Amino acid sequence: MDMRESFSFVVGEEKKLTDVLSEAEVMPLLKSAVGAGLNLVAIVDTAGATLWFCGPGLNEPGTMLPMGVADESRPIFLSGEMVGRVYMSAGKEIEAGLLKFLTQVIGDTLNSMIQSNIKRMMVTELHTKVVQMSYDELLEKNKCLAESEQKYRELAEHLEARVQERTAKLKQLYARMLQQEKMASVGQLAAGMAHEINNPLSFILSNMKTLEKYVNRFAELIDFYETQTMQTHSGDLIDCLRDKRSGLKIDFILEDIGALFSQSILGAERVKQIINDLRGFSHIDDAEYTQIDINKEIERTLGVLSSEMPSDVEIIKQFKEIPLVPCKGASLCQAFLNIIRNALQARPEGLQLVICTGIENELIRIEFKDNGPGIEPDIQERIFEPFFTTHSVGAGMGMGLKLAYDAVVSCGGTIALKSKDGQGAAFVIELPSNGRKDD
Amino acid sequence: MIEYDLQANKMVLKLVYYGPALSGKTTNLMSLHGQLTGSDCGDLMVLDTASERTIYFDLLPFFLTAPSGLKIKVKVFTVPGQVKHDATRKAVLQRADGVAFIADSQVEESLNNATSFENLEQNLALVGLNPETMPLVIQYNKCDLPNISPESTIRSTWQSTGIPLLFASALEGWGVVETFRCLALITYADIDKQYSLQEHHGLSAESFVSQLISLDNNVYMQER
Repeated sequence: MDMRESFSFVVGEEKKLTDVLSEAEVMPLLKSAVGAGLNLVAIVDTAGATLWFCGPGLNEPGTMLPMGVADESRPIFLSGEMVGRVYMSAGKEIEAGLLKFLTQVIGDTLNSMIQSNIKRMMVTELHTKVVQMSYDELLEKNKCLAESEQKYRELAEHLEARVQERTAKLKQLYARMLQQEKMASVGQLAAGMAHEINNPLSFILSNMKTLEKYVNRFAELIDFYETQTMQTHSGDLIDCLRDKRSGLKIDFILEDIGALFSQSILGAERVKQIINDLRGFSHIDDAEYTQIDINKEIERTLGVLSSEMPSDVEIIKQFKEIPLVPCKGASLCQAFLNIIRNALQARPEGLQLVICTGIENELIRIEFKDNGPGIEPDIQERIFEPFFTTHSVGAGMGMGLKLAYDAVVSCGGTIALKSKDGQGAAFVIELPSNGRKDD
Repeated sequence: MIEYDLQANKMVLKLVYYGPALSGKTTNLMSLHGQLTGSDCGDLMVLDTASERTIYFDLLPFFLTAPSGLKIKVKVFTVPGQVKHDATRKAVLQRADGVAFIADSQVEESLNNATSFENLEQNLALVGLNPETMPLVIQYNKCDLPNISPESTIRSTWQSTGIPLLFASALEGWGVVETFRCLALITYADIDKQYSLQEHHGLSAESFVSQLISLDNNVYMQER
């Protein structure tokens, strides 16, 4: 079962006389007995075989003691059990009394020798066993402790890595949340603004049109007065009116007024369009997944970005007819915005951005290709990493392309970069035309 | 069982007196030895002690013979009760055939009794013996003292276990032989089940117990 089983002895194990007594202990006693004048001394086991002897008549241990050679004997006990006898025969010079006395002495000596030997052996054996058991237990305990220490050390090392991993993840989530929050508030702001601006804008537009009508009537009235006056009145009055008319530059006013109205109405309508783009871009009114017209979304995004674009930017739109795609409009617009903005940052002057859309093998393909400096090969793999930025501190968090990546992936698509150093960069987005939700 | 030697026709059994420190295990063996002198028991061997406390063990051997000629030696051991000698207790407990648990009847000792009994169950398992099937008797010793738990309380505590319960005063000598007799009987039953003492060796329970406890002559002892 365990280490205790490996023990060869058990407390209380049976012992033979030869285990307890040794020749080195017994023989001097027997020899001195013979020296004292005895003829023969022999220790014999219960079966009658000699174990140790001194004196003539016996050749080797183990032979049976011949009958009648011994004059006296005493039993030998091993923890209460008789295990043998010691036999003696008297020499010629020994009296019977002395023989009896010597037999008594030798018998008692052997018995007390056995008694103290067996006690010592038991104590030694027990001691050895207890030490061995304790040692084995300590070894076992030590092993357990070492294992547990190892486990904790691994845990500690692992923990550090886990904490780092978690922290990075949290940082990322926090940045994304911040961005989403920003987008949501921009969307809400846009929606609120659209509502607030649309109302006055509507009555401005409507009033302008009415006003234009009214002003036209005034002009008509002036014409009528003039015509009637010329037919019915004298030259003085006519001259007077003519002078007034030219003094007030009425001819120029009547000419300019039409242009003023059409420009103002055009301007107000443009404001209305921008508000609508902003509102559409934020998708504040849409459900999360809606049928999206990619081409329209790109137009909208460009509309929102118009204020950021320098006048020398050239946007070349090569749109093909593509089916509606079910996906998250807001995310996708965000992705487009970040990619276009990236191009704007890459080349502040003289940017030429080609935007192509089309469908290939059931995949909607959208490509943004700029004539910027391109992206260096050694950082190409890192551009979609969170917080990776080549801009100076404060110019951006390095989350733009990461968010674009996340948005495209969340619509079930892929985004890839094609760039050769010095030859511009092209971002290619591919979306499944049947729409696919990842989560 | 320490040994079962078919060739020598010999069986050596081990009985262990277990219990908390100072509950009277050694006193039990001394009293047993005193009362049974002249019967089939050998000398009581008390190994070196430390100020009268057992640090190794005590050993009292008994010898008997079955009608078939099978020689049976029963070695009765005590263990040291002090908590620190746990390794020694385990060593002595190894290959035991029966255990007498000597508890201290004094009220303030009940917790020590419980702890020691738990320790017994634990150590039996550790040396590969089953505490559920191990022949076991419980003796509440020191019944001569004044401040002891009432018998009814003790009985109700142990009733559910079905373990034989005895009361004794090892110092005054009563209950000691009864405990040993009870232990011998249940140990016999257990050994008989495995080794057919009755069927193969013609040794009945009464004969087994009476040889251990009576004053009958003993083949081993005839010389004394």
